[in-house]
Amino acid sequence: MTDLKQRSLEEVKGLSVEEAVEIMRQAGIVGAGGGGFPTYFKYMKPLPHLLVNATESEPGYWGDKLVHKEHLEEFLQLFEAMKTIFDFEQITLAVHEKDRKWYADYQEHADGVFDVRYVPDTYALGEEKTLVKHATETKVPRFVDNPDGTRRPGMPPDVGKIVNNTETLLNVYNALFLGKPLTTKFFTVYGEEVDTKVYEVPIGASVSEVLGIAGLDVENSGHLTVLDGGPYLHDMAIAQLGTGDAYVRRMTNSLFVIAEGRQGKEYAEIETECPEEGIVSLVGEISGVNVPLGGGLLTPATPLVSEGDEVEYEQMIGEPVDQGFSVGVWASLGGEISSLENGIVAISGGAIAQEEAEAEAEPTMAGGAQPRGEGEPFQEAGSSRGNG
Amino acid sequence: MAYVITEACIGTKNTACVTACPVDCIYDAGDHFIINPAECIDCSMCMPECPVEAIYPGDEVPEYLQEYATKAAEFDYSGIAPGVEIN
Repeated sequence: MTDLKQRSLEEVKGLSVEEAVEIMRQAGIVGAGGGGFPTYFKYMKPLPHLLVNATESEPGYWGDKLVHKEHLEEFLQLFEAMKTIFDFEQITLAVHEKDRKWYADYQEHADGVFDVRYVPDTYALGEEKTLVKHATETKVPRFVDNPDGTRRPGMPPDVGKIVNNTETLLNVYNALFLGKPLTTKFFTVYGEEVDTKVYEVPIGASVSEVLGIAGLDVENSGHLTVLDGGPYLHDMAIAQLGTGDAYVRRMTNSLFVIAEGRQGKEYAEIETECPEEGIVSLVGEISGVNVPLGGGLLTPATPLVSEGDEVEYEQMIGEPVDQGFSVGVWASLGGEISSLENGIVAISGGAIAQEEAEAEAEPTMAGGAQPRGEGEPFQEAGSSRGNG
Repeated sequence: MAYVITEACIGTKNTACVTACPVDCIYDAGDHFIINPAECIDCSMCMPECPVEAIYPGDEVPEYLQEYATKAAEFDYSGIAPGVEIN
């Protein structure tokens, strides 16, 4: 009973813990907040309290706020279902004080299934241990002892909390209710020379192509640097726009365009306007994708396709393995498998010439590095950002 | 409420925290590293990196280590650059 298929609220509520966890695993859901931790693993052992982290903290971000605004009904149904499946004593939506008005609809519906808690407007609340401290009466211990005598940093499950971010939970809704696997990422595009936008983008899309759609003259923008992240926490995506490329990752929360030679934190005071048009989907607008079968914390999935195969959008292309953390991988674009190398499945959608698609997939980063993708996790994208 | 580096850093001065800090607010105070509370954004990324567990959230510093919080608050950060001095 773990097929990805449409389910009614009652059918979802009828799922066992094991079935719901397996659906999350097959659907390929990992923490969208930045950590990339496999979501299914957080739910294997039921805990009393689910905290939904809606405190996106990087200056200028709008993604999570728009996801909540546009998907109220989905979250209400999901909270009801999750409470039944996992027997949560409490589900809490944690929101910055400054966003009270924005989340007023949720406050109105907070009738016992979940509650809304307001936390201080500091940056740090995006970090899950700090969030637990402010949204509950509990503190995650700094360090805990392992059975083998070693010590590790404390985590929310040590005090009975599961922390998931907004987008991760929307992906759980999509899997449990709609039977939709994870194939897209929501993120904010902002900074120098671009209007602020929030896009839903196929995973593995070219960063250059997305920025071209956002209105940048990519070929003549060597004076710009693109960060995957915000002013404070980020990884380098493209040092000089127009030279080399990067891929949209499962934990990309922003493409932040800054002047080449400056540092992200110099933009910490940046303020952006919420894009009037809301979230814009680029599904079907992208010419090619490079989808990683693993990377970061994930053991690569077993590929189900070969070079030259035709695949449809949302077709399974990688099956999770039993070793370590592993999740299902799905085509974020319909088209032809143009290559399968180094754990990356390249799919060409045919919207641009094949040569150009291949050129984009070439390792042309300055210094000869591979284009950045999950196959080669960024240095800063570690567990410390695990608020997903 | 900034993070505070305490006694265990003395004699250790492992630089993992300096590398982890996204805002470069960790300075070399001689015997130990020190976090400038005016610059710390409370992100907590330094804390799990410390191999000797010297770093505490500001409101969780044990009483016997409070002098390190006081020192960080009163320290003169002018004239020194954050990070590790390269000789």
